[in-house]
Amino acid sequence: MPTKETCIRLENVGLTFKSRRSFFRYSKHHALKNISFELHKGETLGIIGRNGCGKSTLLKVLSGILKPDEGAIYNYVNYVSLQSLATGFDGHLSGRNNAIISAMLLGHSKEYAMSALPSVLAFSELAESFEEPVKTYSSGMRSRLGFSVAMLMRADVLLVDETLGVGDKRFRVKAEAAILGRINSNQTVVFVSHSGRQVKRLCQRAVWLEQGEVVKIGEAEDLVDQYEHFVQNIKTTPRGAV
Amino acid sequence: MRHTVNSLRFWQLVVVKIRMNLKSEAAQNQLNYVWWLLEPALFIAVYYVVFGVFLNSRTDSFIAFLICGKIPFLWLSRTLGNASNSLVAGGGLMNQIDIPKLFFPVVTIGQDLVKTFVVFLLMLSVMWGMGYQPSLAWLAIVPVALMQLLFISSLAIIFASLVPFLPDLRFIVQTFTMLMMFASGIFYDPAKFLLPEHRDLFMLNPLAAAIDMYRDIIMEGLLPNWEQLAMLSIVCGLGLIIAILLIRKFDHKYPRLVLQ
Repeated sequence: MPTKETCIRLENVGLTFKSRRSFFRYSKHHALKNISFELHKGETLGIIGRNGCGKSTLLKVLSGILKPDEGAIYNYVNYVSLQSLATGFDGHLSGRNNAIISAMLLGHSKEYAMSALPSVLAFSELAESFEEPVKTYSSGMRSRLGFSVAMLMRADVLLVDETLGVGDKRFRVKAEAAILGRINSNQTVVFVSHSGRQVKRLCQRAVWLEQGEVVKIGEAEDLVDQYEHFVQNIKTTPRGAV
Repeated sequence: MRHTVNSLRFWQLVVVKIRMNLKSEAAQNQLNYVWWLLEPALFIAVYYVVFGVFLNSRTDSFIAFLICGKIPFLWLSRTLGNASNSLVAGGGLMNQIDIPKLFFPVVTIGQDLVKTFVVFLLMLSVMWGMGYQPSLAWLAIVPVALMQLLFISSLAIIFASLVPFLPDLRFIVQTFTMLMMFASGIFYDPAKFLLPEHRDLFMLNPLAAAIDMYRDIIMEGLLPNWEQLAMLSIVCGLGLIIAILLIRKFDHKYPRLVLQ
């Protein structure tokens, strides 16, 4: 039975991608298998795992973009959002125009998007470049703009996908502080990363995924240690010995 | 704050997105917005040379006749071409935000509508320049264009909603557009060249009927047959409803389909 505290509950969620090989021939790829866990209100849940383990797919399921093929997802909150850095900027438009459109895509009204522009400009530190076409931006500038817009996101559950690894070191510290501010203000956050350090620092609990399946759920500290131990073993094991 | 089709915020977003896309598109060419006029003007020039000069089928009104057929057809072919691929093109975005997928074809339709509005103004001024005096009857272009918009939108959304399932359908869209070109009496007068028993059937094609009405309005100052216009609008309106239901039915299938 769900307690009052539960935001989202997943029960045996499975998701399969089909890709066409040739005429009528398909190959199946199980992106998620038999995933079950609960997200509690106000907590920061980390999701760790190696590349291609299904982290991003899991976030898309949580945000409602993808519907699972098997199992069920119970949502006890109004709005879950994916906080993503690359909401598709248009290179030919200025940073300002891209910020307006992105803020509105995140669900804000035009009035709010316009009124939030000064804070986006200030946080992103783009200065005059804000009026330049985004195609002239460096990748660091792009992600600074993306992060600043994403910080406007208001949602019951915030899904954060590796956002902290952006920009130069100084901006990274600032971005992480902003996320921390959110976490401490009782925001429910699901945080995805392949960096164990970040998960340890930000999350109380963590879910460890491997090839689309849950390996373990537990306290972030212990789990990350086990995960890192596991990753190290893979790396040091010579080919053919596995 | 999830977007839904019924919310004001969603349509606000559509309008802003259309404006931004037009701005972006204009920024990509040296001549900017001039291309909106230049493109149809070039088309007309080509048809003028081919049909008017080389094939020597020039009558007094043939060029005017051609313009009134070609410009409305360009609207259809452009929108269908762009919209049929709109969901696939929006694949990146729909994988980041849970947004009603109707957003993608509607933005394309709106974008082409704005351009077409400018092109129609060009068409009317060219016609005026050729000696067809504007009259109050020209106002009837608006309801005819609305009917054509309903027709184009329903086709565009249906194609957009099916292409992700069957990418090869894009070739069919091209063939279909070609078919519409020949089945709408752009180069010939259906009243002259068709057998009387085929004419009613021919006019069931909303584009053919619309082109016929544009010509009557602009070149003869005749008002359209309102009953026929109303019937066609109702049919196209129903088509649009079916198209919207279709795209909503598969709303959550698309993010996965466009990635596979």
